[in-house]
Amino acid sequence: MNLEADIVIVGGGMAGLVAGTIASEGGLSSIVLRKGESATSMSSGAIDVVGYLPDGTIPFESPKEGLVALASLYPFHPYSILGFGEGKPAFAEKVITGVEAAVGWLKDKLKDSVAKIVGGLDSNILSLSILGTTKPTCLIQETMVSDGFANEFDSTLLFLGVKGYPDFFASAAAKSFLEQSEIEQEGPRKVAHSTVRISPFGNTCNISASEIARHLDHDDALGELLPQIKKTVDTLGATHVALPPILGIKNARGNRQRIEEEVGAIVFELLAFPPSIPGLRLQRALEETYRKSGGQLLLGHEALSAYKEKNRYVSVQAGAPRRSIRISTKAVVSATGKFIGGGLRGAEDGLTETVFNLMTVTGNLIQADNIRPYDYTSPFAVDTGGHSIFSCGLTVDPQFRPVMPDGQPDADNLFAAGSTLAGYDYLVEKSGLGVALVSGFYAGKNAADAAKEVD
Amino acid sequence: MGEEEAYEFVTSTLEKERIEPYTREESEVVHSVQQCINCGICLSHCPVVAAVGIYRFSGPRSIAVELSRSPPEFWATGDTIYLCTGCGTCMEVCPKNVNIPEIVNMMRSRILRFRPDLVPKGLHVVRETILEHNLAFVPLEDVEDKTESRDMRLEHYGLPLIETPEEAKSEVLYYPGCQAEERSQEVREAAKIILDRFEVGFTMLEDMCCCGLPSRLMGDKDTAEKLASRLKQRIDELDIKKIVTTCAGCTSNIGDASFAYDWNVPVLHLVEFLTDEVGTDKLAKAFTKPRGKEKVKVTVHDPCHLIRHTSRQLMDKALLLLDLIPDVKVEVSTAADSCCGGGGLVAYHSKDVSKAVVKENLEAIRLLEAQRVVTPCPLCTAQLEDNLFQSGSSIEVDDLTVFIAQRLSNKG
Repeated sequence: MNLEADIVIVGGGMAGLVAGTIASEGGLSSIVLRKGESATSMSSGAIDVVGYLPDGTIPFESPKEGLVALASLYPFHPYSILGFGEGKPAFAEKVITGVEAAVGWLKDKLKDSVAKIVGGLDSNILSLSILGTTKPTCLIQETMVSDGFANEFDSTLLFLGVKGYPDFFASAAAKSFLEQSEIEQEGPRKVAHSTVRISPFGNTCNISASEIARHLDHDDALGELLPQIKKTVDTLGATHVALPPILGIKNARGNRQRIEEEVGAIVFELLAFPPSIPGLRLQRALEETYRKSGGQLLLGHEALSAYKEKNRYVSVQAGAPRRSIRISTKAVVSATGKFIGGGLRGAEDGLTETVFNLMTVTGNLIQADNIRPYDYTSPFAVDTGGHSIFSCGLTVDPQFRPVMPDGQPDADNLFAAGSTLAGYDYLVEKSGLGVALVSGFYAGKNAADAAKEVD
Repeated sequence: MGEEEAYEFVTSTLEKERIEPYTREESEVVHSVQQCINCGICLSHCPVVAAVGIYRFSGPRSIAVELSRSPPEFWATGDTIYLCTGCGTCMEVCPKNVNIPEIVNMMRSRILRFRPDLVPKGLHVVRETILEHNLAFVPLEDVEDKTESRDMRLEHYGLPLIETPEEAKSEVLYYPGCQAEERSQEVREAAKIILDRFEVGFTMLEDMCCCGLPSRLMGDKDTAEKLASRLKQRIDELDIKKIVTTCAGCTSNIGDASFAYDWNVPVLHLVEFLTDEVGTDKLAKAFTKPRGKEKVKVTVHDPCHLIRHTSRQLMDKALLLLDLIPDVKVEVSTAADSCCGGGGLVAYHSKDVSKAVVKENLEAIRLLEAQRVVTPCPLCTAQLEDNLFQSGSSIEVDDLTVFIAQRLSNKG
């Protein structure tokens, strides 16, 4: 039994699911192939648009400011591509309008979901992490909103850990937060730390975030936690309570509201490392949005190869552990991810694209089919300049179609989105999910147009 | 000491050191585990971790990055490694698709070989049964008892008896598996009815033997291989070109054997055999309202060995089949693809874990208005049926094969 869909999307992370939803909303049938869970699910759940310029150490005040800088300095940055049109050079305004449309669309899609997001392009939010440090980001989940503890004269920020949860040490976070506030000479008047007890399975050691989150999804578990938080907050006079991101997988928003009402302080979640619950919430919310739009999500299927007739892809071969299917299609979006996702493969003999055998380039748009990946790493693990291997990938035309060595798109109906694109380093720029969202949004739109041309 | 001599010396110490070199297939699995990036996504999805916590079952990430890394110390993992149900959820969500279920089998095989005292007693019992009877269950001694049990079941499900075809020359082998052969005989009979109804020539083995999955899951590699080669011998003797099963475990396990040893014999679940080879047109015409049965609301359960070890397409085909049957409405459970807890032989030694895992399914099923649960696997059927019954629920569970057979019109 073979399948048919107007659009096949390879990859089920932010870029792929956004592209799929856009295609479905355009009245087309779509299939998203997913071989494993995406980097979106591994993320902190906050959506960065742009935080820094490569090699920069001072964050942009706003994503808008960042987009203007990128558009003028990096004309082939995936954002800057939105500024192209009819051969004219990049216009920062066109880039901003383009990104704004995608961001506005996503905010609307997620507004009733478990991962409701707030924020916008007018300012970067300096979000607190479980290390007590801050990170500039554009959109955060509602449960992470920390309403101005830094500006209020009489605020007390409480870092509240969970006994036996090894990812977050409230005392260490409070300490590094204080050090940072001293340098910047701003912050709350007082900082405190404490721990509460939550024991999903009766023990209070070696508890994971997902266990706590799942536990708090049950009403009675939250009931046990509330008096503990209230007591600590009252004792310390806390006005703001920073918790690790454990407030629930399904019911985090409701839980946060209930805690705030009960304890009379502002409660928010910190950004955490993978695997972080807000990332999982974002992934689930995106999947639900896609399914609701009428799209079909094919889990456990890996795109193996694609078949072209003349200048168009007509089908994609997808494999499960012991079966394989052919999906006929009118347009394809490749959102396969980078090295971990498997869209790109780096080896001693160069960089290859794994599904469509497309041309790979370095961040400087030099062909990368015979580079040594090792030469594109920095000797320092943490380097503000980043590792240029992360800006390698596919180069695309203004329609987000991957381009081949002759300068022409590989096919009329193949589009690329997400981290498989070259020309940006999400690690130093803090732009990962933003580029995925924006490129997925436009690749989806363009793929839908290409599919409609066939009829 | 020369190089050759040194090599001989080292290999001679391996047995004493309880180290067994990896075979080629095992090396592949080990390479797969080396791909683990330690991201921990699996921890948020593992149904056993969700049910009992990482304090009791440290989870797939721990298996990949800690437990599977030191061959001589595998036996220190005994309390954890036997709690994996082998559902494959971790492998499916893993960005690198690390083959955790297989590394678990490999570790169990080393524990069985060098420290059989650490293998849970329940598994030894199953092993003895398989070694003695070539079946996962002790067969009923008296043939008459077995026939009686079969007839009672047929009467209960309102199914006619179809004569078993002789081991004559037919290229299609229907392989019922241990559960349908010894326990849920109605599944085997239902499959015969369906195949007969669509005039599919088929044959069955007179001496049914286990597919080898339980042996593989407990780490009894030798027996698993012996059973596989025994099956292969029978397939060759009968000149079989295609195997049809009704059990999810058999589908995936015989499929794996066929793939690993290049049998060139496709192994299909009855569901896909019906949709792909009989065809939906023929199927739609053959379904009828069952006598005395009202409109029914069902929900489905997706067996792990079908969706994660074979292909998720198989459940899409099962839904397609249900859609063709008149007066059947399917309600989708939010935990449809969650492990039933019956996998990995966990229920044979840690019933509490198995019960904790199935709870997720039971809760999701209870939230629906469904009257019945349908699943294309007799093992999942038994596990769900027992646990729903014990929890005091009135919801009944059917194997999909039986459900279909009950709704077929007569031939002609």
